[in-house]
Formats: sequence, C-alpha cells, structure tokens
Amino acid sequence: MNILVCVKQVPDMESKFKINAAGTWYDITDLAWRMNEYDEYAVEQAVRLKEQLGDADLTVISIGPAKVTETIKKALAMGCDRGVHIVDEAVAGREPYEIASAIAAFAAGKEFAVIFTGMQSQDRGSAQVGVLLGEMLSLPSVTTIVDFAYADGTAVVKRELEGGIKARIKVAVPALFTCQLGLNTVRYPTLPNIMKAKKKELLAVPMAELLSVEPRQETVKISFPEKKGSGLILEGDPAELADKLIRILKDKTGVLA
Amino acid sequence: MKALLIAEYRDGKLLDSVYELIAFAEQMGAESSLFLVGSGEALPGFNGDLYLADIARHGEFNPEVHKELILGVAKQLQPGLVVFSHSSYGWDLAPRVAFGLKAAQISEVVAVVDGVPVVPVCNGKMRREVKAKTELRVMTLQAGAFGLPEIPATAPQVIPIDTSLSGRISFDGYEEAEKGGVDLSKAEIIVSAGRGIGKPENVAIIRDLAKALGGEYGASRPVVDAEWVEHNRQVGTTGQSVSPKLYVACGISGAIQHLAGMKRSEFVVAINTDKDAPIGEIADVLVVADLKQFVPVLTEKLQK
Amino acid sequence: MIFALSEEQRLIREMVRDFAEMEIAPSAALRDEEERFDRELMFDKLAELGLTGIVFPEEYGGAGADYLSYAIAVEELSRVCASTGVTLSAHLSLGANPIYLFGTEEQKQAFLKPLARGEKMGAFGLTEPAAGSDAGSTRTTAVRDGGDWLVNGTKIFITNGGEAEIYIILARTDKEARKHHGISAFIVEKGTPGFSFGKKEKKMGIRSSPTMELVFENCRIPATNLLGEEGEGFKIAMKTLDGGRIGIAAQALGIAQGALDTAVSYARERKQFDTPIASFQGIQFQLADMATQIEASRLLVYNASYRASAGLSYSQASAMAKLMASETAMKVTTQAVQILGGYGYTREFPVERMMRDAKITEIYEGTSEIQRLVIGASLTR
Repeated sequence: MNILVCVKQVPDMESKFKINAAGTWYDITDLAWRMNEYDEYAVEQAVRLKEQLGDADLTVISIGPAKVTETIKKALAMGCDRGVHIVDEAVAGREPYEIASAIAAFAAGKEFAVIFTGMQSQDRGSAQVGVLLGEMLSLPSVTTIVDFAYADGTAVVKRELEGGIKARIKVAVPALFTCQLGLNTVRYPTLPNIMKAKKKELLAVPMAELLSVEPRQETVKISFPEKKGSGLILEGDPAELADKLIRILKDKTGVLA
Repeated sequence: MKALLIAEYRDGKLLDSVYELIAFAEQMGAESSLFLVGSGEALPGFNGDLYLADIARHGEFNPEVHKELILGVAKQLQPGLVVFSHSSYGWDLAPRVAFGLKAAQISEVVAVVDGVPVVPVCNGKMRREVKAKTELRVMTLQAGAFGLPEIPATAPQVIPIDTSLSGRISFDGYEEAEKGGVDLSKAEIIVSAGRGIGKPENVAIIRDLAKALGGEYGASRPVVDAEWVEHNRQVGTTGQSVSPKLYVACGISGAIQHLAGMKRSEFVVAINTDKDAPIGEIADVLVVADLKQFVPVLTEKLQK
Repeated sequence: MIFALSEEQRLIREMVRDFAEMEIAPSAALRDEEERFDRELMFDKLAELGLTGIVFPEEYGGAGADYLSYAIAVEELSRVCASTGVTLSAHLSLGANPIYLFGTEEQKQAFLKPLARGEKMGAFGLTEPAAGSDAGSTRTTAVRDGGDWLVNGTKIFITNGGEAEIYIILARTDKEARKHHGISAFIVEKGTPGFSFGKKEKKMGIRSSPTMELVFENCRIPATNLLGEEGEGFKIAMKTLDGGRIGIAAQALGIAQGALDTAVSYARERKQFDTPIASFQGIQFQLADMATQIEASRLLVYNASYRASAGLSYSQASAMAKLMASETAMKVTTQAVQILGGYGYTREFPVERMMRDAKITEIYEGTSEIQRLVIGASLTR
C-alpha cells in the first residue's frame, strides 16, 4: 500500500514576528522553523499505519525553499521511507488552492491509498489544503481526526467536534484524513534514525512543474492586532454584573453558545 | 449581493451559530437565504428562504451529500457569498463547496474592514486582510466574532431540496467527551481559584462555575500549597501553562508566577475585590466584586 | 569557516530540546529538592532516543554522530536539568569513551556495546580522598594474584556512582615506577565481590545526580578487564578527561543558556514603575553581557567538539571551552538570580537551582585552576 503524508514547515510560534516590507506577510528571516504541529500527528499516524501493514511504502511531501528539507528529514527520521521536496521559494505567498493543486499534481496516478495531512497549519490556519487535495483526487476526506484504526481496507476514525464530543466515522480507502492535535503520541525521532534519514531518498521537484493554476485569493495586508488596553472594569450589583458579563462573553468569546 | 448561509444541526438540534451568520450577512449588506439539513421541527427564526434537506434522508454529518445539496442550491440561487461557521461542520464542508464552485475560500473571518474580510494568522498573533480573486466567495466565520441579531419570531419560507447521492463517508453516531485525568493545557475554558476564595469549602463555588461554563477548574499556587486543590490543576510557572479561549481568575491577585502560566489565554475575566490587583492589567474584563457573592449568582444565571 | 550546524545537528537539537522540555523539565525542581535520581527518566529514556551512544560507531551500538551532536545534546538537557546533563556526560565521556579509545575488541563487544545502547550505565573512578583528582598520586592498589588482579582502596565523588553498572577505575599496579607510570585502568562491574558503595554525598547542586563513594576490599578483577596496557592508566585518565571536559563545558553552556532564557522572559514580563524591566538600560546591559559571554563559550565548546571529531588535538581547546563555559555559567546564573531579585532567590523559579548547579562545573573534571594549568602548559612547553 502507498501512503502519503503532507507536511508544512512553519515558524516556531514562540518566535518574535515582524511584518515584511510589502506588509503582506510576516517577515520570514530570523525565525526558527519546525514541522507544523498538526503534521507531526499526521506523520506519526502514517508511520504507525506503515508499521501495522508491514509492506507499505510511505512518502512524505513538503513545499518550500531549501530549508524545508530539514522538516522532510525529520519525517524521514520518524519513519517515512522517502521524501519529496517541491522546491518553491515563493511558498509563503501561496494560498491553499495552489498548494493543494501542486500536491495533487504530484500525487495523481501514484495510487496513494491513504493520505494524511494536518488539520490546518499553525501559521495560515485555513484548514483547507487537506480537503481540497481530497476533492482534487476525488477521494473521500475525513477531517479533524483524533482516533484512527485501519483494517481490511476500511478506516474507522473519530472526528473531534466542539466540546470534546466525537463523531464515529467509517470510510473505505483510498481516503484522505486531516489530523487534529492529540490524535496520537508523537514519537521523538531517535538519534540513530536522524543519522539514517540522511541516506533515504529525497526527490526534488520544481514547483513550476506541478503548479498550473492561478491563485484564487491574496493577502492584501497583514498587521498586529491593537494592543490590549486596560480592560473593562465592571462594578455594581452582583446580579447586574452577572448579566453584563454573560453578554460580554457571548459577544467577545466563542465559548458561550 | 445574495448570500447563502449554511446552518447546522448537532444531535438533532439547531445550533445558534446560524444567527451569527445572519448578523454577518446583514453587516455585509447581503440578501440572505439559509441552507439546512434538518427537520421541520427545529427551524431558525428567519425572514426569508430556507432551503431544507431532510436530515432523516441525508444525515446529520454526511459532507459529500451536503456538498452536493449546497451546490444544487447555489446553481439555482447564484449567490456571491456562501457562509459557514468555522466549526467542525463548517471547516469540513466549506472547502468541498468552494472547490465545487471554483471559488476562493476565506477561513475563520473575525471581522470585515471596508468590505475586506480579516482572518487570524499564527494563532491570532497577527491578522490579515484577504481579497478573493473569484467573484463568488466562500467564507467561514470565527465563532462569536459577529454577535447575534434580533431573532425574528417569523418562520422562514421553506423550500425543500433533495439529492439521490449517498456519499462514501458513513457516520456512526456520537461519543460523549471522556472523563478522567485533567489536562488544563488543552482546556478551552478554565476557571481558577486564588487565595481570595478564603477557605477550602469555597473551591466548590469555583468548580460549579467551571461546570456551568463547560470548562475545567484550576488554581493558583497558594491554593494548591494549602492542599485545597490537587497539584495537577495548578496554573503557573510551577504548574501548568494554559492557553484557553476563556480564563476566569477568581480571587487571584496576579503574581507574576501565575501570569506566566496563563498569559496566552485569549480572553481573561478577573473577579477581584481589589481594583488595582495586577491581574487587572492583563484582564479583558475586571469584575470588582466579592467572588463568594458574585460567582454563585453568575453560575446560577449561566445554568438557566 | 562555516558557522552553521548541519541539518542533522539542528534536528538533534530540536529533538533533545523537545524531549528535555516535555519530559525532563517538569520534574527537575522536585528531583533537586528530593535529591532523587530517576533512572528511567534520566537514563533509560535517553537510551531510547539513542543519546547514550551518540558518538560511537553503529557496530558498537552507537549512533555514529559527531562530538558536536553530543555537545548539543548535553547542552540542551542541561538547559533544563544539569543533573540529567551530567548523567549523560559522565556515562558517555568518562564511562564508555575510554573503552572505545583503549579497549580490546572483546572489551568493546562486552562493555562498550551495552553502554552505548544504554542497557548499562557507565562511570569513572579517579578521585581519592588523599590524592584528589591527581591521577599520579593514586593510592588504590591492584596487585596480581594468579591470573587476576586484587584491588584495594577508595574512590570518592563518583558521578553515577551506585547507579552505573560499569566503572573505569584507576589503580596503582607498580609501586616502584615513577609516579605516572605505575598506574593502570580497569573495567569493574557492579556486583563484583569486594566492590561496594560508601556514602552518598549531600551536595549544593546537581542534587538529582547521585555522587557516591566506591570501596574496594580485595576486589578480584579478571586480567581481561585491564583496560589498555599495564602502566598506561595515567595516559588513559588524561585522554578521558580531555573528552569529559567537552561534556562538562556543554553542561555549563546549557545551564547558562537556561538561566539567560529565564531572565529574559522574566524581564519582559516583570513591571516596575509601569514598565517592563527589560526596557531599563541597566537590565539590558546585563542581559547583553550574559548573552555575549554565552555565545563566546558556545563557540569554544563547539570548536573543541569539532576538533575532537576531526581527529585534531583538542586537549587545549577542551580546557579553554570548559574554563570559559563554567566561569560563564557561574557569572550568568548569579546575574540571573539578581535580575529576578527576591523571586530569583526562591525555588519558585529555576535560577537559584541553576546557580547552585553551575558551581560544580568550575570544580569537577579539573577545576578552573587545573584548566589554566593545562592551557598554560600547552602554550609554554
């Protein structure tokens, strides 16, 4: 069985972000980069599936400039068999439709029976690439999975919904799954495996060979939200205060339905 | 401009988030129609058309079929905007629909500036304004970003819709949230007790509020040291670092050790008798009150 | 000169940092408080990650990585827990490395392999009550008895003592020879009759790392456990310590970085007169000096590691790295406590522990004075 896992390299979210000169994205210089956290769960699940099946072939794919090979190597050190690097210096400006199209162009005809992606990236957070890729390859896709089991051509998974409730889903492969945080316990790439990853196949493909679509959206401006001023101070009768607070929570937070 | 708003059912009930979609469409000056896979028994109050597919036939979660239904409506209606909640239903379905409509999808819209949608970047550290290059736009809205309109008492004009597609994804029902070990770092709502609760019996007040909000309760160092609350619920440098959507600090003055553990919370409510307590500096709302009086009132109102 | 880590080295740093922050850091303060070594956490898990044999070839159970990768691993562990850092350093540099450098093929198979795989832990017994760390004055004796050696004497301040299964110890085998020439090195296994453990030291810092006394009373060791040639013990000890200094220098570097990170994040949070103290020039100058000294130390540590891997002489380089990094660790942790003020002095924040941990790096595996002697001698000989 051929398995594909798609990973993105993103800045460490603890980084100090700056806006780039054009004002359309964060400045990509002087940042620490690592594998998108959601994708780590995707890689782990892909490796577990490969280990379960024994004879599977697991490909990891990523798009970006030269430095993304480090993220691909991490996935190889975690247990992927081969890496594909879609070389693209302009990846920061690519929107989900372009990214999904490029991966689909690579994956077409390669008979991947199971494809894993992160549920979303930590930087863009669009939660689109996985589902779009499924649509482009005409695969059923199940998003936000927090549990995955595979047997005899069928995957039984759980989707995470709001409030910790889960939905049980069954789907026959070939299929695509987008992975939510907590899906599994992600292994650390061991030191010997990091060394061995160096020797695994890593195919480089120019983005231009795969990308044949025009972007459908563009970022016109990126900015920092206004600094929190001193908060609102509420004083008075407890019952009135409670009503006011509930109204504020409903308006300002997504937690009160 | 016409907008098609995608309402959702969960466990047989209509979700209120549909009203946020309506409020958003009003703000965009769009003429709205609703889409719902549901039943005639629970319909939103709405002054307009509702395209209704039968939930018994098409399933509560059946994204391939729901996509097909929406595409059918869109073909007929020709909307300029298709709007979902950025929910587990919406972010799953929206890209399928966007692909089918050859439209740009703009995810998790939190605001609209001069007609341009704004979305968060890097967990809300930054925000960006996004312009679609397609005429038709699909959007998902961040929960709570657009408030609620006045809900009309009128029933919508129901237009039944149907498809023969059955889809490849089968949904086998729901599982309740697991109970067990506390992992505050993943909690979306945390209510924390500080020294201001006064005595161990008052932990119950905090626990009740957490329950009413559907969250977990935590505590600051002094409360844990006094063994009023177990250590695995401690928030701060020597406890857990948390980043919930809502953090309610009750009787917590805001020592730096505590602030370090909860400063990444999205929205902070502090309840404190001292208006000048340092927690006030990072709180979005400071309720100046005695928590022993105020919190039970709040809990009661939330339970209603 | 290229000042960039390889992809593998960067991945190793990321992996060890993630592991250290997720698994090691949470219990560091409590283990320090309780003076408790946690074998499963501080050694077995390192073995699972392939850290216990980083620099050794794969045929001996190692990962085949370089010394720089090793230094990075010790640095990242020590950044959150100096006790875990020294556990790895003492095991690898002092326990396993002499067998790799001087052992026979049989000894490598029998002892290095399980050490590199982390099935067994290593330690090194040099220091004695009367002789200190001066290998030439070793009083522990080993006397031939039939085909075996009979060892008598006491070793003190032994890191990983009691926990380790394999010890490299130095004993005098020839009382007549000039002081450096009559010393030999032996591989001694825990459980050998006549080998017991004395008291456990109560220490100022690295309290989660066990430091024990080793006692040998007519301890019978087979001739096959002689490491290197008879009389080669002094040379073995010196070579071993050269390598050990890289480990301790990396430990000191990690401690210093951990203290700086804590101080910087505190200074950005802490407000006085309504402004974060990080915006005060007095604080900024202190942080600037701390960071600069750490970066200078890092270059020396990485340079010594590079020389060790490249097969160049590194005795002077490792002495310089250890001297600079350990003194920097002491200075930086002291300043970090000062920046955190009263909080820094409490156990609520890790900097007081780091300050206590830093002190030992100026003492063990050659005091700062010894490092200066080594550097001085290499300049003037």
